[in-house]
Amino acid sequence: MRPTRWLSLLLPLALGLAPAAAWAADAPAVPWWVWPLGLFAVTFLLGIVAVLGGVGGGVLFVPIVGGFFPFHLDFVRGAGLLLALSGALSAGPALLRSGLASLRLAMPLALVGSITSIFGAIAGLALPVPVVQTALGFLILAIAVLMWRSTKTDRPEVPVPDRLGAALGMRGCFRDAATREDVDWRVHRTPLGLALFAGIGFMAGMFGLGAGWANVPVLNLVMGVPLRVSVSTSGLVLSVIDTSAAWVYVNRGALLPLLVVPSILGVMLGARIGGRLVQTVRAATIRKVVISLMLVAGARALAKGLGIWS
Amino acid sequence: MDERDYASPEQRLYAAWLDAGTKLGFVALVITFFIHVFELVPPGIALEHLPLYWHLPVEEFLRMTGAPKGWAWIARLGEGDLLNFVGVAILGLVTVVCYLRVLPRFLRAPDRVFAAICIAEVLVLLAAALHLVGTGH
Repeated sequence: MRPTRWLSLLLPLALGLAPAAAWAADAPAVPWWVWPLGLFAVTFLLGIVAVLGGVGGGVLFVPIVGGFFPFHLDFVRGAGLLLALSGALSAGPALLRSGLASLRLAMPLALVGSITSIFGAIAGLALPVPVVQTALGFLILAIAVLMWRSTKTDRPEVPVPDRLGAALGMRGCFRDAATREDVDWRVHRTPLGLALFAGIGFMAGMFGLGAGWANVPVLNLVMGVPLRVSVSTSGLVLSVIDTSAAWVYVNRGALLPLLVVPSILGVMLGARIGGRLVQTVRAATIRKVVISLMLVAGARALAKGLGIWS
Repeated sequence: MDERDYASPEQRLYAAWLDAGTKLGFVALVITFFIHVFELVPPGIALEHLPLYWHLPVEEFLRMTGAPKGWAWIARLGEGDLLNFVGVAILGLVTVVCYLRVLPRFLRAPDRVFAAICIAEVLVLLAAALHLVGTGH
């Protein structure tokens, strides 16, 4: 059976167990160790899907764990940033060495995003939880629709690179393992890309979502970066953006090791496997799995935020 | 073609340090987590008591449990649950180390723009890490 088939079967199953366990949270009979074990199982699968889907772990983790597990959203968002960061750090070395991720492309975008992510994290910790939860639900559903509707292109046409992108040396070459071709790439609309990354950083910090969900479309559709380079560089960018936001949460005390560590371990192991599969699995299949998960998680976050199903 | 042809020297250097730093953080996380969950070192908050507090907003959680803010955890590394902060801190600082490692390459090139971006990013990350921003509520 193909790896993506396994994922599409196992992940909904693992998530199906979570609400049942969450329902049982009020029962004192549930021992504490059930939660780290459940988190490890869910995040291991999320780690694989996140790297393959180029969405980062946080965008799936925060609405799913915030919606179906008993932890306060402050801790879930802090953990979301840390595990998105861990997944990106874990997959980064292989992607950088292969040339699929580009340091020169990532650095300017990451600088803008990391500054705004700090302000996003401060805003997120200051707002009332129902407001953040409701906004999170709307955002996740919007991202799912965006992913469903968007038509990413493997190799966008960039007839003329813009001046800023050319001056920053935002270009490169990678080996497409599927076609066994060397692919040269360059960028356009760099100023717009930088502005959009400022917004992405703010939202990543505010909701603890990581940033891959937005990085990939901006790199691919706006700046004209090939899809594989976009997905790979997205991880590098979010490893920087999430670092700055994560420190805000850690320094505020929003770090619960029993929530964070099993999640990080799960997502890092999953991301290692995802990093190896990234050049071989079909992007379209992964996209469907990710969109389905986001629709469920977004609806749950919205229902919780509006007090419909708490 | 060798994979080295597709990655610049500074990119390979960044990857090497990122790899080492992430592995170090990962190992620290695993070791300290097992120390925590098996209570090899007594925790500040007993594991069986945690479910009473983890649904609370962070400010209330800190008030009820006496858990630390900022870098105060360093002074309390004798508590098993706070040992986990070591691995988290390594993962949070690995990007800073990678940037500092490639900075001399950009300075030698000379590539002033990317050297400036490098320095600016290190300052931003350190400001966040050292609790110089986001201290209010």
